[in-house]
Amino acid sequence: MTNIDRSITVTKITRTFGDYTALNGVSLRVESGSIFGFLGPNGAGKSTLIKILATILASTGGSATVGGLDVATKSTEVRQRIGVALQDVGLDPVMRARELLVLQGRLYRLSTKEAKLRSEELLKTVGLADVDAKRKVGDFSGGMKRRLDLALALVHKPDILFLDEPTTGLDPVSRVQIWEEVRRLNRELGMTIFLTTQYLEEADRLADHVAIINDGMIVAEGTPTELKASIGQEVVTFAFSTPDMAAKALVLLQPLVTKVKTSGHEVLCYLNQAAQNLPQLLRVLDAAKLTITNVTIAQPTLDDVFLQATGARLNIDPTKEARSTKKS
Amino acid sequence: MTDIILLTVRTLKYYLRNPAETIPGIAISVFFLLVYNAGLSGVSNLPGFHGSYLAFILPVAIISAAINGAGLAGQSLVRDIQTGYYTKLLLSPARRLAIIWGAMIAGATVLLVEVFLILGLALLMGLKSQTGLAGYGMIILLTFIWGMAFSGFSVFVALKTKSANTTQASTFVFFPLIFLSSTFVPKEYITSHWLKIAATYNPTTYAFDAMRSLLIDGWQAKPLVLGFGILLAFATVTGVLSLIQAQRSTRLG
Ligand SMILES: Nc1ncnc2c1ncn2[C@@H]1O[C@H](COP(=O)(O)OP(=O)(O)OP(=O)(O)O)[C@@H](O)[C@H]1O
Ligand SMILES: [Mg+2]
Repeated sequence: MTNIDRSITVTKITRTFGDYTALNGVSLRVESGSIFGFLGPNGAGKSTLIKILATILASTGGSATVGGLDVATKSTEVRQRIGVALQDVGLDPVMRARELLVLQGRLYRLSTKEAKLRSEELLKTVGLADVDAKRKVGDFSGGMKRRLDLALALVHKPDILFLDEPTTGLDPVSRVQIWEEVRRLNRELGMTIFLTTQYLEEADRLADHVAIINDGMIVAEGTPTELKASIGQEVVTFAFSTPDMAAKALVLLQPLVTKVKTSGHEVLCYLNQAAQNLPQLLRVLDAAKLTITNVTIAQPTLDDVFLQATGARLNIDPTKEARSTKKS
Repeated sequence: MTDIILLTVRTLKYYLRNPAETIPGIAISVFFLLVYNAGLSGVSNLPGFHGSYLAFILPVAIISAAINGAGLAGQSLVRDIQTGYYTKLLLSPARRLAIIWGAMIAGATVLLVEVFLILGLALLMGLKSQTGLAGYGMIILLTFIWGMAFSGFSVFVALKTKSANTTQASTFVFFPLIFLSSTFVPKEYITSHWLKIAATYNPTTYAFDAMRSLLIDGWQAKPLVLGFGILLAFATVTGVLSLIQAQRSTRLG
């Protein structure tokens, strides 16, 4: 298990659609047996890269290997070794869950008997075992379809699993279940997992390594901790009862921290070792008789990394699904 | 090979669950057989016309069923493209050829069932053949090749346009194929010059000729060689076109 190559390498991959460039020289490496989080806003090029790595879309430049195999020249071998759950689930609505799973198993060269056993096992794993066996997949809820789609990707115990926004549109409970399943697959089977997400929290919690893509280019890369450390500083937010007070506080705090700015009746201070320095800040504000209504200390987030790299905030509002992309 | 069987069986199950999709094919064929046989059979009394009009019109009924059955192949593929299941199949190690042939063979199987029904009906109506059981076998084989040829065409349109409407509309080539041919009267009797030319270049004519020669004239080399040769060539062309289209999809995205 340990000596199988489960790594992914992407070297200067480019993909254009007409004169639109969806991927512009993307390079990255995913280590065998790691969880890789590919983070980016709508239209950044996440799905395009997954399709190229999964051999169903050709790149227009550069090269990539999956499990040590070139995706362009060894596509059939790559397909046998990977599991893929795309952003849009691909289920035949008139079939039953078991039929789909058994057929999928057979297509991946399992015997009928193996495929049946595996189907039952997977239905349990994704929590669909108790669904009426006669029910057509088309009548499943969105969340059930997504879980079945994940089960289909796992039929042949792939070495490498690609998940394109696996939790988009799921309720918080299902989301946590998927996270747990992803961790379990990684830990118990040593599966390399390449997942895309628009949620910072997801990348932060799950991934060993994160790359942030914007407009077809990688803008930041590293472990979540490294990336946050590159921002370097914690944020202390003081809330006052009026913006006026906040303005006065700004002047007082300026000499004591690395950077400070106001936002309405709040003041945001960027500094190292916030916890140790907080008492001093409080004393200054107290001496000036500025009444503080609330204080928070926050670690830098991946959102801050994104902000620093691109000068814009990530679109992290899950209710604002699929802001119109640039093309199509 | 296993992949082809698996995918064919899957599509056949779909037809079994949705028999309504296969009914138009049967209905049109039965219409040809009953209505034209009843209405036009006087033609066979014309001097120079030999054999029964039933034997003459039967190939038309069979071929029209075949076109409809073959159109099913393209439609089932469009359905898979639209549900995203086609992409799932592309992601699997199944060969592209198997994915396409699964749909084509299932369509051709439906049409074989239809052909058996039509032949049965014709026999009940008193059909007599000069070549007996082996002849019927040949007719069924010709129909199967014709069905694969037309399946290839509908699959090509499906992959090219990814549109259910266009694929459905493509079955309208049914009309020129059937009507610009020696459909209702033998080719020698076609008086219009352009129709004669159209009939000469229409592969359907050779399917008709081969089947009719089997039913009416007995074993004859020329129509059979022409029929099998032209239909096989036709099937190869549409088959290759659809496979190229399937392989191009990775490039285009
Ligand atoms: N087949 C295609 N033809 C033309 N443009 C395309 C095609 N596929 C993707 N694009 C464009 O490429 C860009 C990147 O798309 P992609 O689907 O990779 O984004 P994404 O990061 O997955 O976004 P989302 O979070 O919305 O899923 C988009 O602007 C999209 O419109
Ligand atoms: Mg996407």
